[in-house]
Parts: sequence; structure tokens; C-alpha cells
Amino acid sequence: MPWPTTRRVIGTKVSRLDGPEKATGRAKYSYDINRPGMLHARILRSHYAHARIKNIDTSALEKVPGFRAFHIIKNAGAECRFAGDEVLAVCADTEEHAEDCLRAVRVDYDELPHAVKEADARRLVAGQGTLGGANNPANTQAGGDFATANFDAQAYQGTSHQIEGTYGAPVISHQCLESHGLVAEWNQDQSELTVWASTQAVPNTANQLAQNFKIPAARVRCITHYMGGGFGSKFGPDIQGTVCAELARKTRAPVKLMLDRAEEVTVGGQRPSAYGTVKVAGNRQGDIRAFEVDCYGSPGVGGGATVNFNLLPYVYVTVPFIKRRHQIVRMNVQTARAMRAPGHPQNCILTDQALDDLAAAVGINPIEMRLRNLPPNDPNALKTAPNTYMARRNSIYRSQIEIIRKMCDWDRVWHPPGRGDGVVKTGLGMALHTWGGGGRGPNPTRITISADGSVLVQSSSQDLGTGQRTVAAIVTAEIFGLEPTDITVQIGESQHGPSTPSGGSTTCPGTAPAILRACEATRAAFLAAIAPRLNNAQVDDLVIERGNILNRANNERTPWRQACARLGQNPVQATGDWAAGLSDQGVGGVQVAEVKVDTETGVVRCTRFWAVQDCGLVINKLCCESQVAGGVIMGVNYALFEECIYDRATGRQVNPDMEFYKLGGIQDMPQIYVHMMDMPERGVIGIGEPPTISTAAAVGNAVFNAIGVRVEQAPFTPERVLAALARRK
Amino acid sequence: MSDTKETTGLSRRQFLKGSGAAAAATALGTAAAPGALAAQAPAAQPVPGMGPAGVKITLQVNGRKMSSTVEPRVTLLDALRNYLDVTGCKRVCDRGTCGACTVLLDNKPVYACSMLALEAQGKEIRTAESLVQGAKLDAVPAAFVRFDAQQCGFCTPGFVVAMKAVLEQNPKATPAEVEKGLAGNICRCGTYEQMRDAIYSLCNTKRGS
Ligand code: FES
Ligand code: FES
Repeated sequence: MPWPTTRRVIGTKVSRLDGPEKATGRAKYSYDINRPGMLHARILRSHYAHARIKNIDTSALEKVPGFRAFHIIKNAGAECRFAGDEVLAVCADTEEHAEDCLRAVRVDYDELPHAVKEADARRLVAGQGTLGGANNPANTQAGGDFATANFDAQAYQGTSHQIEGTYGAPVISHQCLESHGLVAEWNQDQSELTVWASTQAVPNTANQLAQNFKIPAARVRCITHYMGGGFGSKFGPDIQGTVCAELARKTRAPVKLMLDRAEEVTVGGQRPSAYGTVKVAGNRQGDIRAFEVDCYGSPGVGGGATVNFNLLPYVYVTVPFIKRRHQIVRMNVQTARAMRAPGHPQNCILTDQALDDLAAAVGINPIEMRLRNLPPNDPNALKTAPNTYMARRNSIYRSQIEIIRKMCDWDRVWHPPGRGDGVVKTGLGMALHTWGGGGRGPNPTRITISADGSVLVQSSSQDLGTGQRTVAAIVTAEIFGLEPTDITVQIGESQHGPSTPSGGSTTCPGTAPAILRACEATRAAFLAAIAPRLNNAQVDDLVIERGNILNRANNERTPWRQACARLGQNPVQATGDWAAGLSDQGVGGVQVAEVKVDTETGVVRCTRFWAVQDCGLVINKLCCESQVAGGVIMGVNYALFEECIYDRATGRQVNPDMEFYKLGGIQDMPQIYVHMMDMPERGVIGIGEPPTISTAAAVGNAVFNAIGVRVEQAPFTPERVLAALARRK
Repeated sequence: MSDTKETTGLSRRQFLKGSGAAAAATALGTAAAPGALAAQAPAAQPVPGMGPAGVKITLQVNGRKMSSTVEPRVTLLDALRNYLDVTGCKRVCDRGTCGACTVLLDNKPVYACSMLALEAQGKEIRTAESLVQGAKLDAVPAAFVRFDAQQCGFCTPGFVVAMKAVLEQNPKATPAEVEKGLAGNICRCGTYEQMRDAIYSLCNTKRGS
């Protein structure tokens, strides 16, 4: 069944089903679960950025009131490779006593050399590395090297203008408000484990725990009814999950282990830094011929790229001559985790800001610059998949740019860089983004219709705050002629079967088709069941319309509840799973920031913001717009406030908190104007990630437009703005 | 420590004195010298020592009396969440910067993470859970729901309580005044734009473009 062409509920603004529960504090998140006899666990962590454990002395634990058990995570001789690395866990009857237990453990370390700044880590050659292991390999490794054929000979031929600039952004933290953690509880004979975990991957978390404890997957149940933010950092039980379950097993009691704020910031996930030198060259009209980038960034102590290497330059992928080099710089801080569009915001910062600098050098409007250099619609894709991003990217961006140009009154407000009057200068800046998204299975969804007319939808998929629960209700209500509030949705329990993790903006496109197909199957079963009991109607004559079952043969209408009553003791149940054709992937978006820069204090305020987002078939307009505005706000934080600051001497983060790690409040955020460019013919596309990608670059370009000088590194703090202004003079 | 009149039953100063004053004061990094502390303490009336073992406390929460035994060091937030199972107030930063733990204490918004449970005795504590009677939602959370001013929702009860406090104190508050009242709260999902829709509707003001 395709998506209905006329839609009564889908695409409208529907308030979240669980909104009242959440807004009044009644919703129980993992952090809120209190079980009878529950113990509290805490983790002892290395204070050193790099050290070898000499000795662990737990002898004083027995004397601590309330102490129950401990579990050693790293034994003597093992290395801790960043400040925050786990050493041991304890549990006690109260949180207070668990804290006391941490203080009672004595760990001796041999300190080893560390590096927590990219510049320091880059200097360390083989033999000097600070990552531990045999022979101390270098902290750096190649992350990619590419050049278009004949780049050196031909790239700059015939170009009239060239700029070279440096751009970048530091390591930042996910800062999920609900920290990572869980409550773990075993049954009486310890053959079954239940966890209430804050996770973006409910079945995965259960499965991993089953593996770790060598028990059948069916014997582990993960429950995540509500979840306080993940942004890519919560895909499994993590060390604390396994440790918590282990302590619960040892003590035969439920145990809660939630990270505190300092732990959340230092071990709960980071977005890697990215810094680069970029050269762009083009002709007098603004056609770019050469794009050259040499960049590096740090994914922390583990490996992994910090940009999306193959998408440099970002969006403008058809620039004729491209050269790119990336270096991965490992240092003694936590390993990076996926964070809302991994690599893309960094790519956008490295590309779209350089583009504006070239536009300024050429002396043309940045909009003109973008229109000239957009990649063309892909002729092959046009033939095979005419609705996709590849087939339509040029048309999509072109129309989005025209829309946003009017929305923000660009032609009136924009001025050449640095031309504003007065002390407080206003600027406008634009940036473009793209993202894959796209759904897949398995996401089996089961629907049950009972004789009382109630409709139950069940799947294990989780609601991270995206409105997933409401998505299920909207699609189901549409097909059964009901209202979303008539539908009961049970999600976030691994017992409901497999589901895909909520990463990469795939949840809505992965589940909505499954829900639709479950509706289709259940509807068929339902009509077949009631037809004989509706005056022997023919199944083919029955259609479901709003609130009624219509028999087209005699125009008789039976209200929904009455029709369901004919089911008697036999509820109807069917399942459906994801299938291709109902979802799609690949979106484009354009954003414009307006900033006011105080040239005396260096303070940047983002005052207004416009976002045009391509998104396929919208299921819930309300939550869709919330996602876009939320992505923009996360991007404004990235642009203006956020930075994990590591101390060179101690190797520790100096701001693992929410006071010196800045996040904007309501008064710091712009008024945001969202335009959803929906294309229902493409099916459902996830948009959790795309709207946060280009925000920081747009803000950076707006600052450049305001003051006429590039602030090289985000966050664009007063200090950096003043330094940039001083450079201009 | 300032000399403003303490309004709680047990002042912080009395508490420190009663529980081994000088050492505690230094440990907490307070500026007052032991001498000054002693000189300023009210004469006579020794305050009974408390802790470190648990003491029985009774809190008035959402119109109900709730009792438990907690150590004196337990914050109001932890007493509510860990000992009384009132979990609408959330623990996020645990040091007075994010507002997720906001509760009303005698109608005033406070960070429950930054106050001891003992000090909250005898006061009327209201959490977000009080803003619904049966199926009837208070206007503030109702506006959050209607305008989708929440995503993950973990910050939301704190915002709801803070906003309720502003509007109770000044039912004629302007949207700018309400925003100011929310300046002590942080949302990571970025719901401020939708929150503004909720604020304008609660202030009966039309939002300009
Ligand atoms: S938890 Fe109290 S202010 Fe953050
Ligand atoms: S809604 Fe998630 S932190 Fe505010």
C-alpha cells in the first residue's frame, strides 16, 4: 500500500501523545526508576590523563556504612588513557554511601606522558606517543589523501582570485540532559535480566548485555519508555551498563548507575574537533575551479575520522579540481561518538566559510557564488531515480535559496562584508547542507484491534524526544479513521522484537513504513473478520472512513466501536515491517543567520535565523518543525558557546559541567523561521540531523559579513572576535 | 556569608556550628574565620548536632506530608527523587546551573539540588506533578504540550515550574519578563522557539514576525 494521497491526520500538527506526562514530570525516565531495595553504584575513574595502575587497595571498603559490593574494571598493571577512564565500581545502599565508598578506595598510579591538545599531539612521532601500548606509536595517523588528476599542473590555471584561510571548531560534548546510565535487576534465580536504560538502541542494548553475561537474548529485557537525549552517544550498554548489571548480580538486588554531570561530559561522548587550511580559487564571475583542504582533528584516544573525507568540499562536490588531506590526531581524552550528523558540521565549516571568503575576494554576493557552484542534477539519477537528492539536488537548492532569500529579505539586508554602521554591526550569512537519512528494517510493528474499539501499536523502537510515539499514533489513526489520541502506543521495550537503532535520522523513515504496512495487514484481517458479522457484507465492499465502516454496496455505515464489538472474544492482530518504496533518503537544506556583533565587547548575538529544509513526506508537522528549530539551536550553541577545554598540565577537562561549558538559554537564542519543503511523493525522510549541520557555518559567515574579517575558530567568543578585529586594524 | 535574616528554621550558620563548625566551614571553602563565625552566632540556645547518621525528616510535597530518614547532607532534590520517589524534578548538573531540578518552595522557584532537604522542612514544596489534577492540565504544561515546547522532555518539568512561578507572581507578565524568568534553565534539545509560542499564548500576546 502506498502512502494515502489524501491525508487527514498525516502531515498535520499533532501534539505529542506523551506531552502531558512529560510536562508534568510523571513520565518515568531511566533516571527516575526506583525499585524496591535498589542499591546505588558509582564508578571510580582515573584522574590522570595517562597512567598505569600500580595498586588498588579496597580494604577500607568493608568499613564504609552501607557498602555492598565492588567490581574491578581495570586491574593493577592496566593503563588508563584519559582522565575519566574507568577503574572500579562500587555499590552501596544509598548514593551518599556509594560516594563514601569511592573515597575509601585507594589507587596508586604511575603517571605517564599525555597530550590533550591537538597541537601537542601532532608533534609526537613514533616512540613518543602517549596512547600507550607497545613502542608508543605516534598519536597521528593518515585520515585520507586525495587529489584530482593533474591537480598540481592544472588546478589554478586561468583563475583570477584565490583565498587561503583557516577554519575550525573544537571538541564539544553531547551534554545529554539525562546522563548515560541504567537500572539493572535480575530475577530470583538470576536467569533473567531487566534493565531500564537510557539508550537509542533498545534491542541492541539487551542483546549486548545477553552476550556479555552469556545468557539467551530472550532473557534480557531492555525498557526505555522515555529518554532524555542521546544525539548519537547512546547506542549500547557501555561499560557502566555491564558493570551495573554485574553489581546487581553480585548483590542480588536492583542497582542504579547513572553518570553524574562531570562523568557525562568527560566520558559520555564527544564530537571530534576539525581544523583546516583551505585554499579556493575561481574566476572573476565566481566559478570555483580549485578547492584544496588540509585538515586535522581529534577523535580522542580511539580512532576514527573527524570529517566526512569524501564530502570535501561539502555540497559543492563537482568543483573540477579537488585536493584534500586529513590527519587523525589521537590524544588523551575520551573517544568520539557519533554526534548529530557525524562529520558534516565540520565539513560545512571547512567549506562554506571559505566559499564566502572567496565571494568577498571576487566581490560578488554569496548567493550568486552558491548558485554558480551548485552541483548539477545528476543525469543518471534523473533516469533511474528521479525523485532522489542526486537527481534533484540542483533544483532543490536553487528553489530553497530563492525561498530563503525572500524569507530573510536578503537583497535588502545583506551588505558587502564589514560595511555596517555603528558599534554594533549586523550581518547575514548563509550555508548549505545535505544528509542521507533513509530508513531500513527490521522494524516489525504489531497492531491489535480489540472488541472495545481500542487499537494498540507495539514495537521496540525508542522515542528520543523526536515524537516517535506520536508518529505511530498518527499513521494508525489515519488508516483506521480515528484520532491519534484514540491509539495506544507501546514502544521502547525489547520484548516487542527487533528494531533499528535511532541513529542517522533513520527512525521515522524506518518505522513509519512498517507501521503503515502493519495497518494494512491489520485492516485486511479486521475487515475479513467483521464482514460476515455486518449483514454478510462482502469484504471488498467495506472501506474504513472517518469513525465508520462503510459498506459501499448498500451505503450502510457502522460506527467504529460497533463494528469492533462484532469481533467478540477474538481481537485482530497483524504485523508489518519496513519495505522499500515508502521512505527515501538524501535531503538538502539552506540556512541563513542574522547576527549582531558588538565591536567594542566582541559579543556576538544571533538574533534571527531562517531554515529551509527538504524532508519528503511529513508525518507530524509540529514535531518536524521542532526538530528543525532544535537543530538550529544546537548549531548556534556550536557556533557561539561550546568547547571542551583541556588543561595541558593535568590533562583534565577544566569545564566538565554546565557553568563553564556554555549552552545558551532562551534569551541567547534567535527567533527561528522554519520552512519545510515537503515532497510527499518521496515518502518519509528523517530530518533529525540535517538542520544542525549548516548552522555554525551560517553564523560564521554572518559574523564575517558583519565585521568584514574572518573569525577563524568556533566558538566565536568575544575574545576571538576582538582578536580578529585587532588583526584587521 | 551575608548577614541577611535567615528565613529557614535552621540557618546554615547554626547548622555548621552544630555539626562541628570550624572544620566544616574550611572544608566548604567559606570565607568566614572560625572566630567570626562564633561571634556572629546567636548566643545561648545550642543547636543539637545532626548526622552523620540519618535523621527523620518530613516534607510537605504537593499537598502531602512525606517522611523519610536521610543524612543531613542529602539535598532536597535527592530527598525527593531517591527517598520519596518524586521524580518530576530532574538531576542534571547537580550544582545550580541548569534548572532541571526547579521546584516551588513556598511559591518561590528554587534549585532543589542546591538546598539541603533539612532546610525545606516546614515549607510547602510544589513540583511539576502538582500541575495536573486528574486529566486536567494546568495552563502552563498545557501550553508546552500544545506548542510542542518539549522534545526529550528532560528539562521540561523544570521549565514548567519556573514559568509557573513567574506567572503566579505576576499574572500580567510580558513575554520578555517570562523569558527572563526562564534564564536559569537550559534545554539541550533546543525547544526555546516553541517555548516562545507557549509563552506568547500564556501572556495572551500575539507573536510578531
Ligand atoms: S540540577 Fe539543579 S540546577 Fe541543575
Ligand atoms: S527537551 Fe530535551 S533537554 Fe529540553
